[in-house]
Amino acid sequence: MMGVAYKRNSAVFSDTVGAEEAETLLEWLQKHPKGKLDLAACTHLHAANLQVLMAARLAIHKYPTDESLAAWVKTALHTA
Amino acid sequence: MNPLLEQFLSESREALQGIGEKLMQLEKDPGSTLLMTELFRIVHTLKGNSGLFDFPELTRVLHAGEDLMDAVRDGKVDFSLQLADLLLDAMDFVGMLCDEIEREGSYGPAYGPDSARLSEMLRQMIGGSDEGAAECSAEQGAEKEGVTLLDLPQEMRDAALGAAASGAALHLITYTPVEECFFQGDDPFYQARQTPGIIFGKIAARKEWPPLGELDAYSCQLDFHVLSSAPLEELREYYRYVSDQLHITPVRLLEERGAGSAEEGDDPLLQRERDAASVIMEVQKEILSLPDDVSYLAGRIRGAAASLQGCLRATGSVDALPGLAAAADAAVAELSAAPLQQWLDCHLTGAAAMVSAERAAAAPSAPAADVVPDGAPESEVKFGRRAEDNLTTARSIKVDQEKIDRLMNLIGEMVVAKNALPYLATRAEALFGVRELSREIKAQYAVINRIAEEMQDAIMQVRMMPVSFVFQRFPRLVRDISNKLGKKVNLVLEGEDTEADKNIIESLGDPLVHIVRNSLDHGIESPEVRTAAGKVATGTLTIRATQESDRVIIEIRDDGKGIDPEVIKRKAYEKGILDEEQLERVTDQEAVNLVFAPGFSTADAVSDLSGRGVGMDVVRTAIEKVNGTVHLESEKGRGTRIRISLPLSMAVTNVMIVESSGQIFGVPMDAVVETVRVPAGSIKTIKKSMATVLRGRIVPLKGLNALLGVPAEQKRNEEGEVAVLVVNVGDEAVGIIVDDFHETVDIILKPMTGILSGLCAYAGSALLGDGSVLMVLNLKEVV
Repeated sequence: MMGVAYKRNSAVFSDTVGAEEAETLLEWLQKHPKGKLDLAACTHLHAANLQVLMAARLAIHKYPTDESLAAWVKTALHTA
Repeated sequence: MNPLLEQFLSESREALQGIGEKLMQLEKDPGSTLLMTELFRIVHTLKGNSGLFDFPELTRVLHAGEDLMDAVRDGKVDFSLQLADLLLDAMDFVGMLCDEIEREGSYGPAYGPDSARLSEMLRQMIGGSDEGAAECSAEQGAEKEGVTLLDLPQEMRDAALGAAASGAALHLITYTPVEECFFQGDDPFYQARQTPGIIFGKIAARKEWPPLGELDAYSCQLDFHVLSSAPLEELREYYRYVSDQLHITPVRLLEERGAGSAEEGDDPLLQRERDAASVIMEVQKEILSLPDDVSYLAGRIRGAAASLQGCLRATGSVDALPGLAAAADAAVAELSAAPLQQWLDCHLTGAAAMVSAERAAAAPSAPAADVVPDGAPESEVKFGRRAEDNLTTARSIKVDQEKIDRLMNLIGEMVVAKNALPYLATRAEALFGVRELSREIKAQYAVINRIAEEMQDAIMQVRMMPVSFVFQRFPRLVRDISNKLGKKVNLVLEGEDTEADKNIIESLGDPLVHIVRNSLDHGIESPEVRTAAGKVATGTLTIRATQESDRVIIEIRDDGKGIDPEVIKRKAYEKGILDEEQLERVTDQEAVNLVFAPGFSTADAVSDLSGRGVGMDVVRTAIEKVNGTVHLESEKGRGTRIRISLPLSMAVTNVMIVESSGQIFGVPMDAVVETVRVPAGSIKTIKKSMATVLRGRIVPLKGLNALLGVPAEQKRNEEGEVAVLVVNVGDEAVGIIVDDFHETVDIILKPMTGILSGLCAYAGSALLGDGSVLMVLNLKEVV
């Protein structure tokens, strides 16, 4: 399990991102309202993280390469 | 089946019985808050217990029941006959599941829907007519009605259409996780993603997202909509843990919309689709009416049949499919379009009539969905096992302890009474000279003896309890105390299934708690101290029970700082337990055992946990009360080991009979070390007290007559030897001079009652086989 690596202005998601990450992610998004989200290497993220992303209404820089996850994330973010 | 589950089942049965009774009483006295509270408590406990196991269906119903009882208790809902009926039904359902669990170890997957329906009904009773009920009944309505493709969100429709074209039955799952689900370790997103047969999924926010600063990341605000082609059962099974947060609605393609909209006929899409279908059918008819003389006729027939099939599916006339297939097969076989044509003609004329019939049939059910149920439960859900039905017989029974005690006393008396037979046999022979009879009595005695022993064994089995009864409280206790003290402790329990008599086990509880507290408080050091001393930061506390012949040994061992004998000696001296002379002589091993002395407590400060000065002597007293012994070993810096030895059972005591000044006395065999004849010459008198040397050891001697205040000399035998009974008193061996030894017997020791209870020299009395009374000495008091 890799979680999220935060860089200067981007958050890179990889593998499975667990529930415990949501708090940190939320804080980071508040500090970086224009941060870039890179989900390319992500295979699953816990619902808590997903709802943080939805609430942030931030464009996804790179969608997951995992097709099923990408489809879910796309529909989620578009309707939010 | 594991003991926990067994216990659960037996308790559940009792609870269900209790619920039934309370409900009956409530019907007579609906206003009684006492009954209501009691009822709530039972349901609550039952629910709590069921949560230990993996029986979500069972827990859900109980949970709903509990909520309902809570509402009734708070006066939000009135108690009614209906409510009682529903609760009884729910409890019957629980009982049914319990039965199945008892038989099979678990229950089948088929109960999910029943459980959901029951809990729904129970919840409806709470809601009465408020929105919650209206909402869920509306959703229930939807479940019955199903949704069509048109009701699906746009993006789902495309995906669904593709899957539906292949003829699969579709279901729309609306999964609304509870807000706190993240804390229960759920990942609803993962759950949704893994839905079997998933075709399409979508996540929607429950409400507008607040600004990020106010967002609670761990309160689930997501709804999941999943379209799946998996069978309903599979979906229910997959989501069975969250079935109360779930709605599964079958998705139909086009027909059977609400009767209202169909009658209005103003849905352009629906109408258009219908028209399109009939156009396609007409076209097929034309195709089929073309001349049959082409080489690709079979292909053409098949093509037409496939088109028709598609139309039928799309309009939902699935019933007609087999007819079509048969007609198509016939047409291909005959190489003539005629059979298919005929079928098509029939179908086209029939279709119009059918559609209206379907609508008529659908019409009455549709308005029903809009009616808010008035709280009346659906009558078809009955798990009724009323009084007249066969109840499964319980495999264990609960008996008042008094009854067991009485039985045990009776059996005990039987064991003793049978001892009269050998006397009788001897009398028959010696007094009346009938040897034959004497032998027969002895034979009968052997038979009765065997039965009596088996009876005794059986009643012991009944009273036997595993030590886990006492042990089970320790994990929690150790956790709480060590947290409080900021220590890290790993508790190891061993031999939990070792059994002993109920009284013994129960008497063990308090002393053990005391010892464990002491170990945690004084024994095991804080992580820093341990690390500094080169030990692992986490201390280990081991409680082990083993059986050694007819005794249970409980060993409590910690790897803490141990007891410093020097500190103990100093304290004992300060408190006047030891005098200066003793202080010099006492060994380290003896010193550490001084913690058991009355009035000894090592803690300088009285803490909340231990060290109130009522320390270990209470432990020793409690253990000695049930004829147990306690022994402590400690190594400074390495840890402490306390060994408690207890008899397996206390019912029958084995005593040795001794004689002194013409009377007989009993001495418990547990205490007897040996019996010896000591020549009068070997008895030395040291400072007015007698002693002798036995196998290189000095044994103090005391005359029983002197101890009991009888003014008589102890008798000697012809060789001038005295009879010495060597007994263990505490940790010391003492020789008691008696007149003579007799046999050992099993007796039921009756404690002294009434005015005699003040005589502490005797542990109790017992009846002997010949009817005489035997007084059993309490050696600790006498010596």
